[in-house]
Amino acid sequence: MFVARSIPADHKDLIHDVAFDFHGRRMATCSSDQNVKVWDLGEDGHWTCTANWKTHSGSVWKVTWAHPEFGQVIATCSFDRTAAVWEELVGESTEHGQKNWVKRTSLVDSRTSVTDVQFAPKHLGLQLATCSADGIVRIYEAPDVMNLSQWSLQHEISCKLSCSCISWNPSRVHQPMIAVGSDDANPSGGGKVQIYEYNDNSRKWSKVETITVVTESVKDIQFAPNLGRSYHLLGIASKDVRIISLKPLRRDQSSTQTSGHSKFDLRQVAQFDEHNAQVWRLSWNVTGTVLASSGDDGCVRLWKANYLDNWKCISVLKGDGSNVKLQESSQVQQQQQTLSGGAMNGTSSPPGQAPLPLNIKRNSGWAYFNTKKDQGKHYY
Amino acid sequence: MHTVIEAPINAISTNKDASQVVVAGRNVFRVFSIEDDAFVERCNLRVGKNLNLNFSAADVTWNPVEDHLLASAATNGAVVTWNLNKPSRSKQELVFNEHKRTVNRVCFHSTEANLLLSGSQDGFMKLFDLRKKEVNCTFSGQSESVRDVQFCPHHYFQFAAAYENGNLQLWDLRRPDKWEKMFTAHSGPAFTLDWHPDDKNWIASAGRDRSIKIWEISHKPRLLHTVQTIASVARVKWRPSRKYHISSCSLLVDHNVNVWDIRRPYIPFASFEEHRDVVTGIMWKNDPYVFLSGSKDCTVYQHMFKDAVRPADRANPIGIDTNVNGDLGLAFSDKLLVAGKSQTGSSMLPHFFRSKGPDRSEQFTMASSSAVIFESVDKSTGLEWFIECATRYQLSGKSVEDLCDHNAAVAGSLNKHQVAQTWRILKLLYGGNTATPCPPRTVSVIGSPAVGEAHKAESEKVNLKQQLDGHLVQDHNRSTHTDGENKDTGDTSTAVSEDESDAESSLSLTNIASGQVNQQGDFFFGDGELETFDYPVTMANMDSMQDWTLPTEAIPLRHEIQDRLDSPDPLQNATDSPSSANESEFSSQAFGNAENATPMYNLQAIPFASQNPPWEFSHLVCDMLEYFAEQGDVQTSVSVLIILGNKMKTPVEDQKQEQWFMAYLELLTRFRLWGIANEVIKLSSHRAVASLNQQSTTVHTNCNKCFKPLTRAGWLCDRCKALTSTCSICHLPVKGLFAWCQGCSHGGHLEHLREWLMTHKHCPTGCGHICEYT
Repeated sequence: MFVARSIPADHKDLIHDVAFDFHGRRMATCSSDQNVKVWDLGEDGHWTCTANWKTHSGSVWKVTWAHPEFGQVIATCSFDRTAAVWEELVGESTEHGQKNWVKRTSLVDSRTSVTDVQFAPKHLGLQLATCSADGIVRIYEAPDVMNLSQWSLQHEISCKLSCSCISWNPSRVHQPMIAVGSDDANPSGGGKVQIYEYNDNSRKWSKVETITVVTESVKDIQFAPNLGRSYHLLGIASKDVRIISLKPLRRDQSSTQTSGHSKFDLRQVAQFDEHNAQVWRLSWNVTGTVLASSGDDGCVRLWKANYLDNWKCISVLKGDGSNVKLQESSQVQQQQQTLSGGAMNGTSSPPGQAPLPLNIKRNSGWAYFNTKKDQGKHYY
Repeated sequence: MHTVIEAPINAISTNKDASQVVVAGRNVFRVFSIEDDAFVERCNLRVGKNLNLNFSAADVTWNPVEDHLLASAATNGAVVTWNLNKPSRSKQELVFNEHKRTVNRVCFHSTEANLLLSGSQDGFMKLFDLRKKEVNCTFSGQSESVRDVQFCPHHYFQFAAAYENGNLQLWDLRRPDKWEKMFTAHSGPAFTLDWHPDDKNWIASAGRDRSIKIWEISHKPRLLHTVQTIASVARVKWRPSRKYHISSCSLLVDHNVNVWDIRRPYIPFASFEEHRDVVTGIMWKNDPYVFLSGSKDCTVYQHMFKDAVRPADRANPIGIDTNVNGDLGLAFSDKLLVAGKSQTGSSMLPHFFRSKGPDRSEQFTMASSSAVIFESVDKSTGLEWFIECATRYQLSGKSVEDLCDHNAAVAGSLNKHQVAQTWRILKLLYGGNTATPCPPRTVSVIGSPAVGEAHKAESEKVNLKQQLDGHLVQDHNRSTHTDGENKDTGDTSTAVSEDESDAESSLSLTNIASGQVNQQGDFFFGDGELETFDYPVTMANMDSMQDWTLPTEAIPLRHEIQDRLDSPDPLQNATDSPSSANESEFSSQAFGNAENATPMYNLQAIPFASQNPPWEFSHLVCDMLEYFAEQGDVQTSVSVLIILGNKMKTPVEDQKQEQWFMAYLELLTRFRLWGIANEVIKLSSHRAVASLNQQSTTVHTNCNKCFKPLTRAGWLCDRCKALTSTCSICHLPVKGLFAWCQGCSHGGHLEHLREWLMTHKHCPTGCGHICEYT
């Protein structure tokens, strides 16, 4: 299973984010103590802190690595209403092996706390998306990848709802797409996950979907690595964990000209409420086959799909480093029974195919789920 | 509850029992009484015939002893007192025009109703005695402008002043000549200070350096806490009966009133977000749960503590990320762990620093996180199998059968039984197929456009038969040359030259004829198959942008074809009896085909017709590949694609292929398997993918004399008109390997140096260095 290795993080306040770099050999942590620490994996398998510096004058919410092709670059965003881009000075280090990081730019457009910052997938060049508590998503671009100090604000998208998290669709084939989650607490305010897409013709970002099944405040949202799939998987952390698949519908030539933006076949692939508490964070593995979720119950749960595309919990980890045996093993068995029964009845999806569509009705392009009816039908 | 006033507010102040509030600004000066659900205006102080600057206020304060006395600081330097008990409409009482510049702060003595202190931009502080109606004494800080003055609530004679240069001074009323203590508190202007209501020795200060600092001043001033805020701090006020809580508002940017717990100085304990512009005044209502604030947005709010936003609650207590190996990086709030434990029966409970009981609104303990890395040692989450597969899979160099066998074994050894089975099936499907005598239809498919191209290149007057003859001769020529080079796939340069010369020669019929005559064995290879290899290779060398560039994958395939020369093909005949009859027979066959179809496709027609297996499984294989891709196992899809190459007759969509390749390549680079990534690129039959490793690698060379880049050639500098790297022996530019002595840095052609140093010890240039050649 897993071997836990405790790290003396030594941040003076809560750590809000942990991010591995592209190769998984460096890690950055950011904290409310306004510092970011960078950890490097040594040959001996130990993580050592190679940099620790004050980045903002407020809590640092998120930290994220750029693709290494652009250098050793991270971006941070903070309560102090700014996002910043930092670059490591290669070759320079002090006597204790500490690396120097310099601020390349500070993005100061937001008038409220910047809640998330994410680099675009590499094929889109050096782009950065930020979202802020006042509900504005901003897309920045560094036109010259060699000059990290010049970022121009390309787009401002108003989401109407206070934004908490953002995720780029990593697909190379699909148009640039981002999903935005809102932590707006009012469940009657409609769907809390919005999907925006860049349109080449109009050169604008426009909303293509709102995932209306998720009405509770969303704390984290993650697209799974695409890896050549024909559909996109989106993990959503709210009161529970949900996995939504978005399959782009083939558009006809005629409609391409008129409407311009893609339509999706939305399915809720899975929904887990085992956390029984607020779920805060999600993370996909590199192949997009295992989803880790973590919530207020102090546990990390790993979810994986079996060959029938039924997602199951494969492991539970305690935050203090201990593994928890699957207490719900009986439950799992039960699930498996219903699962196998379902397979025999032919209601479950056949192997190798995307799960059956849920009961989605489509009215003028917006999909909604008949949650009540669909609950417990396809998830197990 | 709030009220809107017609003009921006500069300052507010409440009376002794906090039942009334005075609101002052440049164009406003009113007194409101605070009712249960509304502010009710009591009087307007800004009345009279000539409303001069004395009616505008930068600061206002209510006498803490006498309920009818107010003082305001005007921007013209006047200090004005107001008597609410005055029967007339105008309540103005005294005007002191003692300061030369703006008065920043006025402050009544906490117990002595008639003592009023002012601090001004002109650098002086004056103590007014309202009974004598004159200045009692003047204090000069002898530093810059005074931004704030406050009487100490605990000590009769003490007051403190904050200065624009960041200094804080402590004064004794009895010693007007010199301050008692002075220290530098801030690195920019200090805007505000506030005495702790309970702790005699604590004082808070704040300024433009965006920090609130708590000082202990009993002996030598000592910094206890620093709160870093996001903007310059305009005002700070301690929260009553909460030792560690202090409220602040900003001068710019931030419109919130924040209440901080100084022990956790990073996140506001509570925030009040009602105001739309900066807040200029905060007054607690003698109650830790209620306070008033006035703002530039022309409103006065009464805030209840229960309405506060708790930024710490919104703050994310967990960080998690998965790295490429499947290791989980996890940062957890310790509180969550404690909470988790207490649920399971432990007596550890979150502790509360107030004895009031578990009032959620008062819980604000220090928070910290612990970080854990979960190293994945589990097959279900780890990706060792991916690396193993990537490194151990063989993608080329053998027959499809062998490759499938090998890869099946690899997958099997890693417990990827489904993948292993897939390889075995593929072996059955395609391996068996290649074992049967099958002219390389794959080759002809790709090659035929090349042939067509060649046709065009040649003289159009030559009739098709002759043309084909010419081809065949060419083929033969080339084949004789390339035979010896078959093993050396990389050596294409000779092929190029051959090709060029052949192309030239083929332009004239006589040459062709003579070629035919010259070769005693006029055997030829049917279908121009060898040619099809040569053309794309050379074309690829010359211009990789040609849209029909054949991937280098074709090279390994060449071996297979060579192996199959013994198949019942023209070749067999050729080896047996190189007769002219055969030649004409086959050339006519080729000719016939050419008549039937366009020259582009004629050559693939025959093999296709005869070799199609009866069962059409290609689309199934396609589906299978897509299945693996959908499952996130793009490795299998790409590996199969590479090995099958063009054997798949219903090829996977171009875009999809590219997507898979790109995804696989990204994964490989994530695992830092650069070598394998490069191999995959090399073997890819997809145009965009195959050209990947021909991009973005540029080696710039600079002249070794003028250090300017060499633009035209690597050995001639356009600028200084000099050869850059000449051989010390023959004095000609070295275009290949340049060998030089590490000691004197002279060198030249490797051969020349070797020869020279066989016989000499010293450097050929005569520099005197004894060079070593090993």
